[in-house]
Amino acid sequence: MRWVYRSVLCLVGLSPLFYPVERAAAQESPFFVTYDHHLEEPGNLEVALSQTFGPAYAGQPRFVAPYLELEYGLRSWWTTELYLEGQSTRHDSTVFTGWRWENRWRPLAQEHVINPVLYLEFEDINEASRIKKEFIGHLGDGGQSNASLRRQRDRELEGKLILSSVRGNWEFAENLILEKNLSAAEGVEFGYSLGIMRPLGGLAGADACHVCRENFVAGVELSGGLGSTRGFGLRETPQYVSPLLSWRTSQDGTLRLAPSFGLSHGSAPFLLRMSYSHELRGFGAAVRRWWHGR
Amino acid sequence: MAANRLLATTLFVAAGIVLGQNLTYRPDPKWQAPPRAAARRNPLAGRNDVVAGGRRLYVRECLACHGGDGRGLGHAANLRATLVQRQSDGVLFWKLTTGNLRRGMPSFSQLPEIQRWQLVNYLRTLRE
Repeated sequence: MRWVYRSVLCLVGLSPLFYPVERAAAQESPFFVTYDHHLEEPGNLEVALSQTFGPAYAGQPRFVAPYLELEYGLRSWWTTELYLEGQSTRHDSTVFTGWRWENRWRPLAQEHVINPVLYLEFEDINEASRIKKEFIGHLGDGGQSNASLRRQRDRELEGKLILSSVRGNWEFAENLILEKNLSAAEGVEFGYSLGIMRPLGGLAGADACHVCRENFVAGVELSGGLGSTRGFGLRETPQYVSPLLSWRTSQDGTLRLAPSFGLSHGSAPFLLRMSYSHELRGFGAAVRRWWHGR
Repeated sequence: MAANRLLATTLFVAAGIVLGQNLTYRPDPKWQAPPRAAARRNPLAGRNDVVAGGRRLYVRECLACHGGDGRGLGHAANLRATLVQRQSDGVLFWKLTTGNLRRGMPSFSQLPEIQRWQLVNYLRTLRE
């Protein structure tokens, strides 16, 4: 029974209130869909609460899709992340839509002109998922109820090739996405994401500040589907452009905001993404110390 | 008597140097800045007014691994050591920028360039 008790406490430990971890920096990029080559620092845990909000359009009711991200730096070259997601649709219901487990690896030890990262994700979600973490393939079916959509379960394997570069204060990232639904014979679906960002700050001041330029990063990302092995191209694919802003609200907290605008006929005209993340530095070491009773 | 005093002083200084180092730190011979990066001029050279901001960045970004006094925790480098301090500003800037994942050093290229130079200025104040 002791291990059950400890495991439960470990879960509670995900809360920053549980264990006195050291204060930490939050090196958050403002991207929501695009990944760059900066991984989580080893031993750090980042807890993020995010949501995608979609207003009503074309007869479809508005929805909000919250998700929890737990990102942990296993090694300086390996980051693993767990997602738990849900969705609530107006005049319908609120449902749990599944989980995702992703891993990112940096094969090169140092920074280069182009920095590759390999990405692999397993998803066990249902068709009611609306977090829109990436856009792939062609347009899905709209207008069905959550009760109907949640019965359609998808187990998917997703790979990404992430390329990222830094030029002066500018960062550029390009992602190529491949996704295979293991639950259905759909072929392989493709997607892409391109991002550019820049910190707005100059010299760091001697005193901490909240609303000052050095705490803001701005950027833009462009993302969309590229069809599938059954029909490659941009035709009938969702395409979005999103201006981005991230604000380091405290030493260890970051708020991100991204309105997304649909560019293609089948895209929703507007989505709004928001996220607050909190980084716990030394979390792994703190849990290990506690587990061994020191 | 004078010889004994000299020997004691030498031993004391040697012990101080040895104990002051992070003995678990081993420099990575493959982590060498290219000559062009090593020769880069620090745009904030001699600017003491930016050191306080650099210290704030250090506390935020570096303290967890290198410790409050810069001596390094675990395998992290002792930033006060001659081995580190004898490197040029350009080399330190390059190392901050590129990182070295083999040794657990993340890259800080996401910081604005001017803040990375500010960190270099602060690191110079740690010199023993």
